[in-house]
This record gives sequence, structure tokens and C-alpha cells, in this order.
Amino acid sequence: MDRLLVVRCPELLEEDEGGAVLRAFAEVIAAVEAYCPWVTPVRAGICSLPARGPARYFGGEGTLAELVQEAAEQVTPAEVGVADGLFAAVLAARRSLIVPAGGTPAFLAPLPVAVLGMDDLTALLDRLGIRTLGDFAVLPDPHVLGRLGADGAHAHRVAGGRSGEPAGLRQPRVTRLLAGEAAEEAPVVAEPGFWGGVSDADARAARCLAAAQELLGPDGVVTVRLQGGRSPAEQARFVTWTPGEAPRGAVPGAVRTGTGATGAPWPGRIPAPAPAVVHPEPVRADLAGTRGEPVRVSSRGLLTATPDRLSVEGGPWEPLSGWAGPWPSDERWWSRSRRRSARLQAVTVRGAHLLLAERGRWWVEATYG
Amino acid sequence: MFVSAPARPLARDLDPAALAALSALAERTRPVAASRTRLLPVLPALAGLLPDGGLRRGTTLAVGRPGDDGGLSLALGLVAAASASGSWCALVGHPGLGAVAAADLGVDLGRLALLPRPGAAWAEATAAVLDGFDLVILCPPFAPRQSMARRLVARARERRSVLIVVPGRAGWPEPPDLQLRVDGAAWEGVDAGRGHLRRRQLTVTVAGRRAAARPVRQQLWLPAPDGTAVAAVGPPDPAA
Repeated sequence: MDRLLVVRCPELLEEDEGGAVLRAFAEVIAAVEAYCPWVTPVRAGICSLPARGPARYFGGEGTLAELVQEAAEQVTPAEVGVADGLFAAVLAARRSLIVPAGGTPAFLAPLPVAVLGMDDLTALLDRLGIRTLGDFAVLPDPHVLGRLGADGAHAHRVAGGRSGEPAGLRQPRVTRLLAGEAAEEAPVVAEPGFWGGVSDADARAARCLAAAQELLGPDGVVTVRLQGGRSPAEQARFVTWTPGEAPRGAVPGAVRTGTGATGAPWPGRIPAPAPAVVHPEPVRADLAGTRGEPVRVSSRGLLTATPDRLSVEGGPWEPLSGWAGPWPSDERWWSRSRRRSARLQAVTVRGAHLLLAERGRWWVEATYG
Repeated sequence: MFVSAPARPLARDLDPAALAALSALAERTRPVAASRTRLLPVLPALAGLLPDGGLRRGTTLAVGRPGDDGGLSLALGLVAAASASGSWCALVGHPGLGAVAAADLGVDLGRLALLPRPGAAWAEATAAVLDGFDLVILCPPFAPRQSMARRLVARARERRSVLIVVPGRAGWPEPPDLQLRVDGAAWEGVDAGRGHLRRRQLTVTVAGRRAAARPVRQQLWLPAPDGTAVAAVGPPDPAA
């Protein structure tokens, strides 16, 4: 399970009509992004970021948590926690705790079942005399599945720290709003051939995915579609698969972004071909010049030295056989929290990477694997 | 009761007209349809790598070795044509798919399901999707036990799916029907600060059992400048 850092802003948990809460929350996210560009909004007032890579940069999870909290508190009071999986990390944030790696089951065990946020389940377990997540977690799997069904079985895995999050923890609407998109659910158009029993292959595939989802939890099966965007990560949107729903990737006229055939211009976009691997978590990179001096991007978008070697995740230095860029991009120019970043392509004997520079630090954003 | 078959006349004993009629008959009765449904199509650039010119249902392929550059691209390239012609494809165990690269290769994202982080249940999840998907790309998150690998290979055979394993660091203990190896990868297009990554030449070696016992080596552009796969013939493009 992912090691996640969660920021929880107690004053921003309820949305207001005017949108002031979400605007403040967007500022929190921008402030936190100074430490890591991979911040994901979970729901109003709660966002997460992968802890592993940034913790390496900043000398440990404790230091990272302090820095992130300080940044967020420039906007609003904030609580920060770290744990394995989103559910435990949100609970850890509420208690301002760093749960050590592997310690999540022990952390969850004494908490009341109600924290799962499933009222019916809580009432049912209460009647059975089961009050804590630990009591729930020790029930044998087959019994849970038989008595409580698939939802109960998934909650059971969450309670035991074996799965990251219960259904309904995320508010996808908030994510879309913060991404500057329309908040309304796009109507799912019934497409001929999908799920309607028109094609046997489609129906069979749906049954398999339902089985896989039962095994892996609601977030275990994902579909993807393309959208406009500048970076490889922005150009894809991953959506949790829902039984009975057409995969979103099949939306007619979906943007084909890599070929350069798309209409919308995205200044600063890296030319095709696109990288085959887009890292879901930040991977630290160090870039040095011929004399070993760190390479940075100046405020005018120029490199401070000629790149000569690259180290990925603190690994050995590898000489560059070629590089190109930087492509400056001034993202979110419409908001107050504009962030400047630049991208660079770097080739070593082991492969080619797309690097991202932000506030003096380099990350491997994607790999042409 | 036995009836002895009449001695078969040798071809050279037949008159030319009879021979022509026979070969026309043979052409008509060849089980074309059956052999076609046993094969899933691949991009023309990759057809030369496969002994049947396509992906044989029920088989297992391993793509790349630990540390290979280009393994995932090659796996996506292999499924692209079948995906575009209606086959469902699942990617198990890879949390960082570059969706644009997959789409540019020709993968139909509308028929692609991702199981990005199956964790400890990866083998069960793979078995579940093998039941109903024509194509499954598996990047095992952990080193598979041999019994596990063998079960998945058997499941693919039974369900007439194609299992494409990208072993990565985890490895794959079971010899596949076909092993595709990336022997060389060279990028074109970047210099010291100028240009941009334009295309990559991959040298791919294929070895396997039966018809594929003799290794085949081929060079291809993957990705080509437009993100597709193109067979590389002759000297490198001077425009690069």
C-alpha cells in the first residue's frame, strides 16, 4: 500500500455555496505543492500526497510533515499525518500522527467501527458485540463475505489495514472542481456494444472486472481516458471502474493528444512521441553539470549549467548521452498560486526520462520505457 | 473388416490438368477461418517477429528482461492491433501507464482495463481477467512462485487468451511460448540541448519453442515520431 501524507483542514471540510471554501482549499494545495507536485485532492479540506519520494528529499517523514503543515497553515489551520493507505492516513492526520510503515493495522485496531463511515455496518456489528476495527478485522474472511457481502468484505480488508480506502472516501466532484472543470457528472451515454448484452465479449469482460474488483476493492479496477493537458500526467484521467458503466475511454471524439493532431494548443507541451510510463508517484532526480555542480532552471527559464549526469532516486550518477529542453511552463497562470516549472528530456544508457523542475528541485515525471 | 486403401498416386504421375484441379481444391478446403480465429492480429511492424504473424490464442509471451528499456512499449505495441479490432485488454500490476503513448500505438482505451496495484492478490486478479479478456499484460509486482506462474499459463491456454508477461525485476520462472528480448535501444532526436526525442530504434530478438526455435532478430522504430510502431529497414533515417 502507498505511503501517504494527508493534509486535513478542519475549517474547510464543509463546502459553502459561494465556493470560498474550495478557493481556500485550492490555495492550500498550491502551498503544499511547493514540496511535491503530486498533490491529490481527496474531498473538501483533505488532500494527499505520496510520502516516500519527498520524504527522501527533506530528510524524513517527520520533517516533511512539519514543512507541509507550515506551508498549509499560511492559509488555514491544518493537521498532517502519514500512514499506509489513504484511510489510515486521513485518520492519522486527525490525530497529527506519523504511523510507522507496517504499523497501520495496529494503529487502526483500537478505533471504533464508526470511523469507516458505514452506518448500517456499524449498527450490525454493534449488535454482534463488535465495536472496534481490530475486533472486526480478526473475523475470518469467508464468514465476513457470507454475512456482510462484498461491501462488508471490502470494509473488513480496510479495517485490517489490508486495503487502502473505503468506498465513498473520495469526492470526485471536488477533484473536478479544483481541476477547473464543470462539476456536473458527465451524462453516461449508453453506447451500443457496451454492457447491453449486444456483445458477448463485452459482457464477459464486465463479469471478469466485477470479479477482480471484488478481490481488489472498489479502487482496484480503473479505466482511463484522454483529455487536454500539457504534461503527460494531465493528459490522462483515470477513473475507477463501476459495474454497469461504459468505460469512459470510449467517449467519441476523445482527444488524441500525443500525435499533434489535436486542435487545442497547449503551450509548453512536450512534442510527440509520448512516454510509455508516467510515474504515479514522484521520483526524485538530481541533475549535475560537468563539474558536479547542481543544474537549476533560472527565473528566465534557462539552465544554470550544462547537464552532464543524472541520478535517479539517489542512485549512481549516469552520464547523459543527450538531452533537450528546457520547456518552460507557467501553469495555472489564471490563479494566484501560479507555479513555474520546466521540463527536460534526458537520455542515459538505461533509458530516456522526462524530468520536471519545480522550485529548484528535479523529479522524474515520466519514462520512455 | 479392413479395406486396404488404394495406393496413392504420386503427384508426378498425374496429368497437369488433374494436378491443377487438385491444388485448386486444396486451396478451397484449407481451414482458413479456423486458423484466423486462432490468431489475434498485430501491427504490421511486429508481424515479422511472431512465427504465425499474429498472437496465437492460448499462448504466453514474455517481453523484456529485468532492466530492459522498451519492454512496456513493446507489450503495448503487441496488443494494439487486436485491441483496435475489438479485443479487450487488461494491464495488471503497472501503476504508471502512459495513456497517451498507449493510445498513439493504437490501443483502444475504451477496451482497456487497468488493475494498477493488485498487491498480494495479483495472481488471483490476473486469473480473473484471463477468464474473459483476449489479452492480458502482466507486470508481476512480486517474484512469482513457479506453481503460480504455471497456473496462469494453464489458465491462458484453457481460456484461449494471450498472456503477455513483462517480468521487470520480479522475473518469471516459467519458460514462455515466445520470449521477446530487447537487445538494444537507441534514441534519436536530442543533442546537447537541441531538438526533442523523436524516435527510438529497438533491436528485438525473439526465441521460442517449435516454429520459433530459431531466434529471429528485427529492428523497429518504437515509438516512431508519431508514437506508432514502424519496421526499421535499411539504414537509419537521415532526417534524424
